[in-house]
Amino acid sequence: MGKNIKKGISRRDFIKTAGAGVGVLAAGMGPTIFIPRQARAAKKELKILQWAHFVPSYDSSFFDPFAKQWGEANGVQVTVDHIGLAEIGARTAAEISAGEGHDLIEWVAPPSQLEPSVLDLTDVNQEAQKRFGKQIGLCTNSSYNPVTRKYYGFCHGWTIDPGDYRKSLWTKVGKPDGPENWEDLITYGSRIKKELGVQLGIGMSQEIDSNMAARALMWSYDTSVQDKNENVVINNPRTVEAVEYMSRLYKSAMTPEIFSWSAVSNNQALIAGRASYILNSISAYRSAQEQVPEIAKDVFFVPALKGPKGTRWSSEHVIFIYVIPKYSKNADTAKEFILALLENYDKAMYYSKLYNSPAFFDTRIPAGARGYPRVMGASTLMDLNNAWFDDDPFRLEGEAKGKLSVLKTGSQWCTNVGHPGPASPAIGEVFSTFILPNMIASAAQGMKASQAVLQADKQIQTTFKAWRKRGLVGGKM
Amino acid sequence: MDAIETAPKAHFREYWDRRRILAPVMISPALLYIVALVGFPFVLAILYSLSDATTGNPSIHFVGLRNFATILHDPVFIRSLENTFLFTFVSQALVVVLSSILALALSEDFRGKQVVRFLILLPWTAPISLGAIGWLWIFDSVFSPMDWLLRAAGLLGVPHGFFGADSNLYWLGRPILAMASVIVVQTWRILPLATVILLAGISAIPNEILDAAAVDGASFWRRLFQIEIPLLLPVISIAVLFGVVFTFTDMTVVYVLTRGGPINSTQVLASWAFFVGIEAGDLGQGAAVALFLFPVLAGGTALVLRFARRREVA
Repeated sequence: MGKNIKKGISRRDFIKTAGAGVGVLAAGMGPTIFIPRQARAAKKELKILQWAHFVPSYDSSFFDPFAKQWGEANGVQVTVDHIGLAEIGARTAAEISAGEGHDLIEWVAPPSQLEPSVLDLTDVNQEAQKRFGKQIGLCTNSSYNPVTRKYYGFCHGWTIDPGDYRKSLWTKVGKPDGPENWEDLITYGSRIKKELGVQLGIGMSQEIDSNMAARALMWSYDTSVQDKNENVVINNPRTVEAVEYMSRLYKSAMTPEIFSWSAVSNNQALIAGRASYILNSISAYRSAQEQVPEIAKDVFFVPALKGPKGTRWSSEHVIFIYVIPKYSKNADTAKEFILALLENYDKAMYYSKLYNSPAFFDTRIPAGARGYPRVMGASTLMDLNNAWFDDDPFRLEGEAKGKLSVLKTGSQWCTNVGHPGPASPAIGEVFSTFILPNMIASAAQGMKASQAVLQADKQIQTTFKAWRKRGLVGGKM
Repeated sequence: MDAIETAPKAHFREYWDRRRILAPVMISPALLYIVALVGFPFVLAILYSLSDATTGNPSIHFVGLRNFATILHDPVFIRSLENTFLFTFVSQALVVVLSSILALALSEDFRGKQVVRFLILLPWTAPISLGAIGWLWIFDSVFSPMDWLLRAAGLLGVPHGFFGADSNLYWLGRPILAMASVIVVQTWRILPLATVILLAGISAIPNEILDAAAVDGASFWRRLFQIEIPLLLPVISIAVLFGVVFTFTDMTVVYVLTRGGPINSTQVLASWAFFVGIEAGDLGQGAAVALFLFPVLAGGTALVLRFARRREVA
């Protein structure tokens, strides 16, 4: 008995019997069991990775709910993961190396170095232009490689980079409408520092805003890293002149703090009332609206400053570009999502508090309630752009109307990194290794301007040569 | 029945008692860990450094030693190499001196010793990024509390002030002060580990030797330099080894405080490898930068370990 009990049914017998039972059961209930499984397998998936937006309401009130609703309406399981700006590059590299990860990855800089591992998005770019009109040039130049003739990314938006100045300070030195050209920064900025004790805040540090400022200065001085055919042209007298100018500006209107700045330092300096002028997007002003309204009411904006010959350029501050890695099994779904996002870009503009500008200004505003006060007479995104910058819907009570008006023309004086040529991996490496801010900072700290430019030229030539060998950058070897 | 059931158990125990079976089983988790998390990435890094790989195209196309040749002509790489040595040796010299003092102090009995030990260990247990952000505030160009103290003491921000007439020292904005700042933070970070290692070493010194020295009337300094430090040398060398390896290969402090600036004056090999390899996408060159000092570190490590072993045996 005991033996029988101990022996009972062996594990092998149990598995055999249970397996047979389950088999019979499954055969009988086949349709009940398998049809839902097939349905589940058929449900499409879309995994999106993107930065945690500087303006939180973009993610919380627009993007995340929009992605969810779009997924529900189209039978797609959408997952959105947000990560910090600084982590995007490393995370993308890791996913590409692993050959799996997100289907749609948003970069906030041109992702040109990813070209060999991401899909050519010519089809979706062409479809978007068909539906929403022409894409603005700086967006195309940041997502299209003329050498390989591929769209390595899809640019849906960008951010204007105006000058932010404190009106009360500039009024006291006789320039109430703020600086118009770079020379004004020396003339009036030095007086503000000397007479009112507030310095100017243009970074010369190893961070993104200093990179933007260096490019804006050079373009306005009619010089650049490369020409439109991607030949390196930085070593010329105009660059030397621009670098010398920045040394003069540093000595007369700034302090050594600008050599240590991080990406948020100029925002902090403006909000703390310790900067008379900075080069930044409206995010600094939006932060001031929340944290120090009195300062925000005193912050006004000017377009890109003019150089000696009247040229004025500023860099896009942030550019929003999606890539679809080649490993993605949901590329078509990702492309559909991109097009749906474009259809709703009015909301992207509104919930980013006008931080996002559209890549397709001619997009028509969909009918019906849009989740924001309707703008009378507005039918395209360009209409919204003009109306909202003229009368900022996020203006504080008692704040001057129309202070953002100068941003209406942002697309005329903002351009892409790499201007007058396209963005490229070589331009990206020059950006990521801070060659330009360091060139300017070296001169400001005593190096001869021509020497600083020569040094930068050598580094840039080496960088371009390496990427040309990989076939991703144009210009002469 | 019992005999039938216990026989396999005994056999099993005996089986596991065999050294040639137990030893590999016990060591295998560590071995697996090293192979998977250290060995594999290391081999991959070597392959990358000899290839044209980028973040966008991580496939390996061998280019020989081209990446190493290129970085040797890069002034930022040379600067980073010099900075790495300066950063490591100055911070570790400070660590050796300060940890010896701390360990000797903590080996004595005094009130509140446990609290002091806890506080000294704190920098090691807290995440470094958190600590470095705290230091970022301490060295802030505008709101630095150290500057505030100096101003309050009349040493800064006044005409003919000892530290100048500017309202701030701009710790992270001036190359020399920026390097001094990252060295201070790295010293603060490594100090607890070295102190704990030395403390363990001190407690292992036989009391008879110290008692004999006391009976013979040896002064503190004589006891320190002729008994304690010579006996502690193997332990000190291990503490230095850890500190040097950690400092040579780490970028956190530099990345959080200065991102290598101003003008690459605090750039070290680890941070430069990250900027070139990951941020700029040139994996091959980034790997070459990262691996450049490996032979030096490996050789140095072997020498230190050999020295420590010899001293122990002696």
